[in-house]
Amino acid sequence: MTAEEWQIVWFTTWVSALSTLMILPFGLALAWLLARRDWPGKSIVETFVSLPLVMPPVATGLILLQLFGRHGALGKFLHDTLDLDVIFTWRAVLLALGVMSFPLLVRSARVAFEEVNPRLEQIARTLGAGHWRVFCTITVPLAARGIVAGMVLAFARALGEFGATIMIAGNIPGKTSTLSLTIFQDVQLGQDAHAFRLLGISVVLAFAAVWCSELLLCRKTKTL
Amino acid sequence: MSLLLKNISLPLADFSLEAGFEARKRITVLFGPSGAGKTSLLDLIAGLRQARSAFIQLDEHVLTDTARNFTVPAHQRGIGYVPQDLALFPHLSVRQNLLYGSKSAAEDSHSFTFDRVVEILEIQSLITRGVTGLSGGEKQRVALARALLASPRLLLLDEPLASLDAPLKAKIIPYLIRIRDEFHVPMLCVTHDRMEALTLADEIIVLDGGKVLQAGAVLDVFNQPANADVARLVGVETLQPGRITNVNDGLATVKIGGATLTALASGIHEGDVFVCIRGEDVSLQHDVVHATSSVRNRLLARVISLRNEGALVRVELDAGFQLHALITRPACAELALQQGETITALIKAPSVHLVPR
Amino acid sequence: MYFSFLIKRISGVVMAAVLFTAASLHAAEVTVFAAASLTDSLKSIATAYEKQSGDKIVFNFGASSTLARQIEEGAPADIFFSADEAKMDGLEKKALIDKATRQSRLGNVLVVVVPAGSSLEIKSACDLTNAAVKKIALADTKAVPAGVYAKAWLEKQQLWPAIEPKVVPTENVRGALAAVESENVEAGVVYKTDAGISKKVKVAYEVPATDAPKISYPMALVKESKQPEAGKKFLTFLASEEAGQVFRRFSFILLNDR
Repeated sequence: MTAEEWQIVWFTTWVSALSTLMILPFGLALAWLLARRDWPGKSIVETFVSLPLVMPPVATGLILLQLFGRHGALGKFLHDTLDLDVIFTWRAVLLALGVMSFPLLVRSARVAFEEVNPRLEQIARTLGAGHWRVFCTITVPLAARGIVAGMVLAFARALGEFGATIMIAGNIPGKTSTLSLTIFQDVQLGQDAHAFRLLGISVVLAFAAVWCSELLLCRKTKTL
Repeated sequence: MSLLLKNISLPLADFSLEAGFEARKRITVLFGPSGAGKTSLLDLIAGLRQARSAFIQLDEHVLTDTARNFTVPAHQRGIGYVPQDLALFPHLSVRQNLLYGSKSAAEDSHSFTFDRVVEILEIQSLITRGVTGLSGGEKQRVALARALLASPRLLLLDEPLASLDAPLKAKIIPYLIRIRDEFHVPMLCVTHDRMEALTLADEIIVLDGGKVLQAGAVLDVFNQPANADVARLVGVETLQPGRITNVNDGLATVKIGGATLTALASGIHEGDVFVCIRGEDVSLQHDVVHATSSVRNRLLARVISLRNEGALVRVELDAGFQLHALITRPACAELALQQGETITALIKAPSVHLVPR
Repeated sequence: MYFSFLIKRISGVVMAAVLFTAASLHAAEVTVFAAASLTDSLKSIATAYEKQSGDKIVFNFGASSTLARQIEEGAPADIFFSADEAKMDGLEKKALIDKATRQSRLGNVLVVVVPAGSSLEIKSACDLTNAAVKKIALADTKAVPAGVYAKAWLEKQQLWPAIEPKVVPTENVRGALAAVESENVEAGVVYKTDAGISKKVKVAYEVPATDAPKISYPMALVKESKQPEAGKKFLTFLASEEAGQVFRRFSFILLNDR
């Protein structure tokens, strides 16, 4: 394993972890709203959240490219006001990973919230706890296993992301090269041995992540 | 404590709940069959549910006034709630459960100190334990303590004895009485069980079909039901105060009015009781006072009135106390009962129910 | 009399039918794997060829490195038209092409392009090192010919270390073009022929032949081809003057023009 390879593994791991942390507050908020509240147009929101899960990743990447490109609605704003470019930088990797793994987090967290007995939340309120305190001390702790399982799943998905990433981040060595992108490039260049080494690492990382998720879910069902 | 509920309109599955009453005594029981909307009313008072129209006032504080679009959020009402399923927080220890509401406790709550509540409800040994391993009765006491430690102005209890078996009921009832007497917290209990209502209530409110049928002191309501619906719900024909003078060999001697009855003494000691006798359990016969029979209670009584109720006749008697009997019409004809006539009333000892006061 | 006329008529119809069937039996489908930069010119040539010969030409355009790799893995190509000799050499070493059919007739010119609305001025290779140029799109310099050529040019100017941090590698040369079109990069290095087909970019600097490496497009018949006869026929057409005129129109250099 060369220094370059370690850099790729390190980059992939930390950007996946960061993207998972980044989507956590939004994901939990949305999951809670979907679990506990009803509003007109709720089904449209549900569909939108699920889209990155069902659409081809490159299609999602294309949409992101349009939005965050130099002329896109968000890209133009970021460039003009904050002098911030997203496309072809590590920020694009963060964005692609976040968007693609978001639905997995929301789905897991929503189910976890739905399984919390609303009566417990109500009684907590009668004991003087405001909405935020109830959320932090009752809802989240009781939903914790499901939420963590969702985070692990999101992390694993981020580790393996390819389609959207190559669309908006490209495969810039040292800057946006992830494990998946590098494997793809290695195969194109005929560097199979290198590709297989990275493949091995990918498998180990993904295996560890999914195994943790299964462990957490298993323990949850055992205590029920 | 005064709780005022006016103009309540809560669309439930079948009907609209319209209830208005003032609850002033220390333990008020909301009595009615299942589905009468009692739990919804408690939810409304606690602020956990919205109504189409409602006016709720506790002492001098208005909690809900839909006419002015004003409502105090649930966590600011200071109303304790012990639901039927107790809702103990499974991820917290007993101690953490108990202390959950105490941060928002009022300053002048010297009577609600942790040690005092724990002592009164006898849960010292449970403090360090987790919630899931507790027995039914233990969970009940922890739930009560938790609600108390938030220093509530009013305590709502939803069917507090419903999920307990008879021995356990008998054990919990004293704790509820203690809460009333030691902590002076007004309580609003909801139940469909007559015996529970009798035991706990200072005041009773009869609710059915979303409407208040009658409200008042418990004896008044049970003895003088305002209408046939209340009578049907209340379902006890004879209800009189009495006093146990002697308990011997599993049997109790009860002095009631001018008469003495023998009853079964199931866990009851000497003291004041309510005596409950169902009309169907009273048999009438001519001239049997001196015969040998298994029936322990044979009373000479004078017929006060007769009233037809379908296939039955309700006979009101004076046996030293007001006694009701329900007999079939053919039987009444056979006995040729008349007002003012003397007849023997037969009541088996197990049919004399005693409820501690 | 009438009878012999009838015979002539019928035999005429039968002949036509036989010839027609023969012709359709011989109508072949030729699969051409070609460098991305050849996309527009080859499509135009193929349209003309199909009318003439009755054969059908099917294209697979992409980075020559990717295409070579696909052929190595057994992809069903009849003809390989690469953007550099190296990829063809690689296949020849593995005996995957028919050596006898190999010929190089096309060249190209490297240019630096900027978005059509850009005010950036590139007067020399050095200008690419300016701070105003934050990102430069190149086809992947490790294997794609356009990228390899561009890197060779910049290395010769001794500017590669300064420019490398700004490089955004794309999968093929058209990807670099698209990046410049979308304005997500400030500049890109592509072929003159690519710049020619896009209205959203303009040529800022044309790399002089003396600075650039020799660009040459070899074509050959793939050995495993299922249509060797039809393939050879198309190769002949590609080397013809008629095809040459189309290539010139798209700004390709014809090597025997020099």
